[in-house]
Amino acid sequence: MKGSETMPNTAEKVEPVARLQGVSKKMGSKTLISDLTLDIPAGQIFGFLGPNGAGKTTTIRMMVGLISISSGDILICGRSIKDHFEEAVANIGAIVENPEMYKFLSGYQNLRQYARMVSGVSKQRIDEVVELVGLGARIHDKVKTYSLGMRQRLGVAQALLHRPKLLILDEPTNGLDPQGIRELRDYLRRLCQEEGTTVFVSSHLLSEMELMCDSVAIIQNGRLVDVKQLKTVGDVIMPIGETLFEVDAPEAALALMGHGVLKNGGIVLAATREEIAELNAKLVTGGIKVYSIKTLARSLEDQFLEITGGEGIG
Amino acid sequence: MGNFAALIHNENIKIYSRVRTWIMLIILAVMSALIPVLVYFTGNGDADSGGMGVWDNFQVSIAIAFFLNTIFTVVIASDSVAGEFSWGTIKLLLIRPWSRSKILLSKYIALVLFSLLSTGVLIAFGLGASLIFSSGSSEGVAGMNSSWSPAQYSFLVILCQYIQLFLTAGIAFMVSSVFRASGLAIGLSLFIIFASGIFSLLFNPDRFEWARYLIFNHMDLSVYINSDTGAGGSTLGFSIAVLAVYYALFMLVSWIVFRKRDVAA
Repeated sequence: MKGSETMPNTAEKVEPVARLQGVSKKMGSKTLISDLTLDIPAGQIFGFLGPNGAGKTTTIRMMVGLISISSGDILICGRSIKDHFEEAVANIGAIVENPEMYKFLSGYQNLRQYARMVSGVSKQRIDEVVELVGLGARIHDKVKTYSLGMRQRLGVAQALLHRPKLLILDEPTNGLDPQGIRELRDYLRRLCQEEGTTVFVSSHLLSEMELMCDSVAIIQNGRLVDVKQLKTVGDVIMPIGETLFEVDAPEAALALMGHGVLKNGGIVLAATREEIAELNAKLVTGGIKVYSIKTLARSLEDQFLEITGGEGIG
Repeated sequence: MGNFAALIHNENIKIYSRVRTWIMLIILAVMSALIPVLVYFTGNGDADSGGMGVWDNFQVSIAIAFFLNTIFTVVIASDSVAGEFSWGTIKLLLIRPWSRSKILLSKYIALVLFSLLSTGVLIAFGLGASLIFSSGSSEGVAGMNSSWSPAQYSFLVILCQYIQLFLTAGIAFMVSSVFRASGLAIGLSLFIIFASGIFSLLFNPDRFEWARYLIFNHMDLSVYINSDTGAGGSTLGFSIAVLAVYYALFMLVSWIVFRKRDVAA
């Protein structure tokens, strides 16, 4: 076990921040999570998608050591959360479900509580994080006066204090207004790009995940259904899909393009952005009229419903 | 990793930044001071006919105020772990680079510190008021028939009372850790305080040999101040041993359960 875990130096870069290895969780006779294997690559915003009751929170609770793992193991930065809890969890900042705080303390005092539990969090760092989540002057008010959105921000702040390598957020958009969601998305991306933090974020909001994540893992009934890469195009992230060329002479166009299938009076084929431009040029110079070029990417939502069969809670 | 003292500091903040804690301490101070005052003013006021002396007065104050002290300490003990669960903050507390054992230990130490503080308040106010408001010049303490001085006797009584409080708080802490419900912890430990007298009557060690091993028959060590043998002819050493075993058991259960149990909604 030990021997297989020591990795060569070359693999250092690609070593996933978190590895879930055949993780199962049983409670009595019920299996909540079964044989979940998943690598969370470093430097990504990784989505964890599933309908309510699929086992997202259960998985997250195992990742942070709040509940025991029935079988399998979870490695955080190469350390087992089971056997080396303190070292493993030091790399994690998390919000599990709602960010509950000590209501009788101020937001600042709450942050001080968590700052004291790790070394190297200066007052300056606290101010910096408060600034980042935009709590500003309200940080010295008692938490009981906070709105849900403000508590969510405070939750993110406590998770970021010690500059964790892995930030785990369980349904972070719950209770946030559209503007709050937008801000959260922006600073998660900033965090990911500027500090190299890996973000693992669970949600049942598909559209939200599409906008936020580099990859998503889809879970249903405690099983991993699929892991999907989402491709970044500028600021908008979209899944790779097929493209439809609508032309006046499909057969001639097909001969020119070399591959693809005839469909709806056009040609459908998988192509990257660059390829689409090249193909278009080829068609135009070949004397074929191109009426439109459409990306047929199914939205993640379509794919999600397809994969999970639109089932309810099983 | 931070240092362990910071964990205790955190727990202290959670205790002392709540208004409730200060209300309890103020009530305790007022009650401790009030009793000698009441005794002074409701007594026959005739100083020469042997009114209550300083230590006698202090004894009465302790007897009543310690009851409150126990209740308040039990309230703090019960909320220590169960509070984190009912607030939901346990999820944020346990995902720090500290083992659950150390987190529980910091909570327990903060609880013991509170019990020492509250006992200190009780002594300071009780003794202070007794010194100011004592009419009698009698030096002894009623019911004392031993070679101790009144001051020594009083502090022995306080020590015995504190041991009782310490054990009761231990029970409350255990119930709080096991059931994660502060109401149950408060109720159960107060029930034990009230019922222990009845239980030691029912399960009299003079009649039942096994009753010698019940905690109820040993919680009040003050019987040994005036006598060498306690309930069922047991000695001080035996009583202490029984209490120690129970205490170790309470702590063991608290720790095992807190370490092992899943923290789920």
